[in-house]
Amino acid sequence: MSYQVIDAKLLAKLFLAGSKNLESKKEYINELNVFPVPDGDTGTNMTMTIMSAAKEVNELGENPSMEALCKAISSGSLRGARGNSGVILSQLFRGFTKVIKTYDSLNACVLTEGFDKAVETAYKAVMKPKEGTILTVAKGIADKAKELSSEGVTDLEDFAGKVLEHGKYVLSQTPELLPVLKQAGVVDSGGQGLIEVLSGAYDALLGKEVDFSVAAESSADKPATTQENLVEIDVKYGYCTEYIILLNKNFNVKTEMDFKAYLESIGDSIVCVCDGETVKIHVHTNDPGLAIQKGLKFGQLTNLKIDNMRLEQEEKLKKAAQKAEVQAAAVAEKPAEPPKKVGFIAISAGEGLSEIFKSIGVDYVIEGGQTMNPSTADILDAVDKVNAENVFVLPNNKNIILAARQAAELMTDKNLLVIPTKTIPQGITAVINYMDGSSVDENEEMMISEIGKVKTGQITYAVRDTVIDDKEIKKDDYMGVGDNGILANGTDLTEVVLNTVAAMVGSDSELISVYYGSDVTEEDAEKIREKIADAYPNLDVELQNGGQPIYYYLVSVE
Amino acid sequence: MSKIAVVTDSNSGITQKEAKELGLYVLPMPFMIGDDTYYEDVNLTQEQFYELLLGGESISTSQPSPEEVCKLWDSLLQEYDEIVHIPMSSGLSGSCQSAYFLAQEYDDKVQVVDNQRISVTQRQSCLDALELVKQGKDAKYVKEFLEADKFNSSIYIMLDTLQYLKKGGRITPAAAAIGTLLKIKPVLQIQGEKLDAFSKARTVSQGKSVMMNAIKNDVETRFGGILPAPGGVWLEIAHTQNLEAAMELKEELLQVFPGYDVYIAPLSLSVSCHIGPGALAIACCKKISL
Repeated sequence: MSYQVIDAKLLAKLFLAGSKNLESKKEYINELNVFPVPDGDTGTNMTMTIMSAAKEVNELGENPSMEALCKAISSGSLRGARGNSGVILSQLFRGFTKVIKTYDSLNACVLTEGFDKAVETAYKAVMKPKEGTILTVAKGIADKAKELSSEGVTDLEDFAGKVLEHGKYVLSQTPELLPVLKQAGVVDSGGQGLIEVLSGAYDALLGKEVDFSVAAESSADKPATTQENLVEIDVKYGYCTEYIILLNKNFNVKTEMDFKAYLESIGDSIVCVCDGETVKIHVHTNDPGLAIQKGLKFGQLTNLKIDNMRLEQEEKLKKAAQKAEVQAAAVAEKPAEPPKKVGFIAISAGEGLSEIFKSIGVDYVIEGGQTMNPSTADILDAVDKVNAENVFVLPNNKNIILAARQAAELMTDKNLLVIPTKTIPQGITAVINYMDGSSVDENEEMMISEIGKVKTGQITYAVRDTVIDDKEIKKDDYMGVGDNGILANGTDLTEVVLNTVAAMVGSDSELISVYYGSDVTEEDAEKIREKIADAYPNLDVELQNGGQPIYYYLVSVE
Repeated sequence: MSKIAVVTDSNSGITQKEAKELGLYVLPMPFMIGDDTYYEDVNLTQEQFYELLLGGESISTSQPSPEEVCKLWDSLLQEYDEIVHIPMSSGLSGSCQSAYFLAQEYDDKVQVVDNQRISVTQRQSCLDALELVKQGKDAKYVKEFLEADKFNSSIYIMLDTLQYLKKGGRITPAAAAIGTLLKIKPVLQIQGEKLDAFSKARTVSQGKSVMMNAIKNDVETRFGGILPAPGGVWLEIAHTQNLEAAMELKEELLQVFPGYDVYIAPLSLSVSCHIGPGALAIACCKKISL
């Protein structure tokens, strides 16, 4: 079937197909991260962004109007935007829908105009647009569309196929534009995400079957904060059943397959691993008895555990509801107090760091950071909870700054100011330099100038082999990541920490602060502190329990 | 023309020796250490004081007793017609209130100045008072002049630790609330009543630059601008057991205020006792125009 135009119903279908396809490729996209740090979540971020829009599109029903559809796509993705690529994707949608919402059906010309506006809007949203990224891919697509429409191509299958083909080509060229991509041997992850969206839509246009439903447990519903927004999930199998069989019978590949087949007939989420002497079994089923009887045929059972998942789920929902009630009550009581002039929101992971932020005057800490970038909506929710006329937001991560800026633009009743802090120590520095007596503008200026004066080093491990900044890094190596690249790497954690610090300390340094993460014991951290103090006897060295995940140590030098 | 005596207390940082040279009178502030009462600069030196403070002695401050105050006034009034009495800030001590109360018995002969100065700025007030007396002004005029001038001064103090401040209770709640988990050097200000929080720093040079910018801003916006030397303000640095750092700070201050006089003095003990050693302060007072 060939199309000359796309109406709202078809566009909704294509959009959902694109979203679904992106979601299915998100793990792959996560792995395209240039820095081999365990925070590669471009795929997750883009998926959450688009799923937030897909949810709204889904709610429109069978026959949406073009205008309603456009609004759902635009506002859904704006509010759900997470991470830089997510924000850029939402801006692409915003620009695209701005054009098409005035048409009932879209032909090649309108699509071309929409792509053009999309690219223009996205470029504007980024302060320093970089080539070799999702922006370049989007621009390539818009250019190709322009070329095709001026050639008079009107058949949309043909048009879309060629546009997508060219988009893939531009994506393949991103390493030529961004040396870091080339060195790491990957294409741009955000660009890849965009191509997945369009591929999914194109497949749907060709009539390939795609599951359009947006599952309730899809990642869009998992908020960056806690489990506050728990959705009622229909638990199909009620008992999580686990045990280990101490084998007294032969358990070969054939028996293993039979065993798995049996478990599949009574449940799902199956694990069946055999190491020759024992077999570990895990299954979700409505009849744990059957699963246990089956195991008994092969030997004695040990480490049995059966949990009722339905009750657990109810319990969780109940708790969430109670929490929501308490929060609602708190909110209801609050307006009695007049708003204060200035409030602070910091984004940070780890209890220790949260405590530190609160102790220096931050009103609300959004749990998030490396592995979970809060969305624009998460930030807006947090701003709601702070009863102040002006709210400073400290993203403390370079991948959250854009979402925070987007929140600032959507905010109407409060003045939201984003201090573009890229690391936790920068965030701490910003808050410390806040002066009560000065105006909001003066403080903003002051904080922005001060955050440049603290150097940060973050110590983590590599998730894969790569070459970056001409340093060869092996998987599982420890790495010290500084403000402008990798400072040290190696297999000895202490050595990497010391080398990272050495690369940061200068003649005018006075204070070294070390925040140890959740994977480090206090004793080990204290040993590191002593070593650093020995190496720099003239500097103050301060050790704090940060409790952050992923990063063994955060170090700052000022 | 009536003969007028200027009296202050040892919070001005003016020593007994310097008082004689300047021609004024200093009431020593009493300190209770253990069961004994000591008097600043009489039987308690700066060195002894810090030794005791660091040794963990509990030191409490007191005001000069009414008896001591009246004894001094009475003896001075044998020789002088009037007294201008300049005690430490009424926001930080009850000395001013007590003196004001006692002065009621002396008709208008004793004028108690409530201008909320302390340390180096209190010292400057005393010098201003001497100057006004020299110009032939009477005690009431001097009091009113100094009180009208009270906000024309600023002090910024960077503390090395919050430890002593918390014990004392001589700070506003805002200042007390400054961070506890991180090592933070609070920068406090005195612009009148109590010590209040101004800003925070994590290192000495950050703290110095905060104070420097604040003083620069005060001079530019409140005290007539940074004029060519000798300038329209008196600049002062006070410190607690930190002379070397104070000398260094003077050099840095002279970069911003080239050719100005910068007076350096140890911070008086009744403030030090709440602030602890290692603190640095910058102060300025607008020069009085007659």
